[in-house]
Amino acid sequence: MALKVPKQKTFTGPALIWKRVLAFVIDMLIINFIILFPFRTLFQKMIPASLSIKETFELANSGELNSLVILISVFASILMMLYFIILEGRLKQSIGKILTNIYVVSEAKEFKFWQLLIRNLFLIPVFPFILLWIADPIFMLFTKGNKRLSEILSKTKVVGEYKY
Amino acid sequence: MKKQKTRWGFIILVVVFLILLGFIFAGFISLFTSDIENFGGNTALIPIKGVIVSDGAGDLFEAGASSTEIIKLIKKADSNPNIKAIIFEINSPGGTPVASEEITNAIKRTNKTTVAWIREVGASGAYWIASATDHIVASRMSLTGSIGVLASYLELAGFLEDHNVTYRRLVAGKYKDIGSPFKEITSSEELLLQKSINQLHDYFIDDVVKNRKLTQQQKLRISDALFYTGAEAKELGLVDVLGSKEEAIRLIEDKLDITVNLVEYKKEKTIFDALSRIFSEQSFFVGKGIGSAILSKRLSNEISITT
Repeated sequence: MALKVPKQKTFTGPALIWKRVLAFVIDMLIINFIILFPFRTLFQKMIPASLSIKETFELANSGELNSLVILISVFASILMMLYFIILEGRLKQSIGKILTNIYVVSEAKEFKFWQLLIRNLFLIPVFPFILLWIADPIFMLFTKGNKRLSEILSKTKVVGEYKY
Repeated sequence: MKKQKTRWGFIILVVVFLILLGFIFAGFISLFTSDIENFGGNTALIPIKGVIVSDGAGDLFEAGASSTEIIKLIKKADSNPNIKAIIFEINSPGGTPVASEEITNAIKRTNKTTVAWIREVGASGAYWIASATDHIVASRMSLTGSIGVLASYLELAGFLEDHNVTYRRLVAGKYKDIGSPFKEITSSEELLLQKSINQLHDYFIDDVVKNRKLTQQQKLRISDALFYTGAEAKELGLVDVLGSKEEAIRLIEDKLDITVNLVEYKKEKTIFDALSRIFSEQSFFVGKGIGSAILSKRLSNEISITT
């Protein structure tokens, strides 16, 4: 007589925080080592490895280099935003999210560009967006569904699949 | 399975696209910050080549050194904490007194170790600039010295008279047309001009003597504005070391105990620079009328005073 085992069911719910952090770390490693690789040579030319931390700090604060660093940061943030906007817009997942099996969903039916843009505004290293570096993690820790402030504003959320 | 493959294919495509875009961005940034490599080394090399003028040198048709541009480069090197020393690569017969003095003063204001490396020629105003540096290196065959002031012009009065051309003198102010090539210079005018030149010469030579800490005897020897070879200049105390770039580098390495990593500081000539200069000159000439512009330009250049 065969046992009647109930079929495995799945449901989606807010992604676990550790999975989200891990996914973000993976994405940042990929961005840093692969996508931002062309900027590495620029930085190496600008700041030689032989410089001490103090000398590097002085150099970075010298007028001309400072504006150059800002210029590079702007272009780098454009690339980072494109990475997340393209992948999350098309696949609902970045590489980090694929590896941790979580994905982004819209509270509306389909993703709109503005939603993808707003949820990634924290990548722009300029005031007031840098405030999101503090606000986003706080909201994630203390809100229902572990949503970042950017996610609340963009009406999106990150979810995971749970089996039972 | 196929869906998975398509997904990873898309991801690879996106990553490759972003890397390419990154290279384009990096290239774009390099294009507009041509002196990015200036941040890399510890010793700036600033070339001073051709006739030294205050502005407008080094355009499409004229090789020269603009004091405005050179001072900018000195300031840039001075504000870069990574730069420990500056080498001035000098190959110039001199230039205008003001432009030479401007560069000399800019060198005196720097906090970096400075070395002048004289190549073929470093005479007159160019030597004045070199004298402001901490050390002077020259080849034994370089031409240097010529610490004097020159103000000359072609007098055409006799030529005009021979061709029955009259210079109609209309001036307000006795000496307004002093040095005009169309009339014979008077003895009082000659005295006045000579007085001014002597003043410039005194100032020039006094500054060189002060910069090089020369004795009164040395001052007397060089005040005839004769040029000297590098070897002679060394004997006279106008040059510290005979040699080339290597000696200039060695001086810095010995003094600062560093390994010199040279970076050339120079103004990049862009197409925009060349075009904007052409357009600005064109506008001037069109506005004033080509004929009168040529005439007025000649008149304003009747006497050129150079060091």
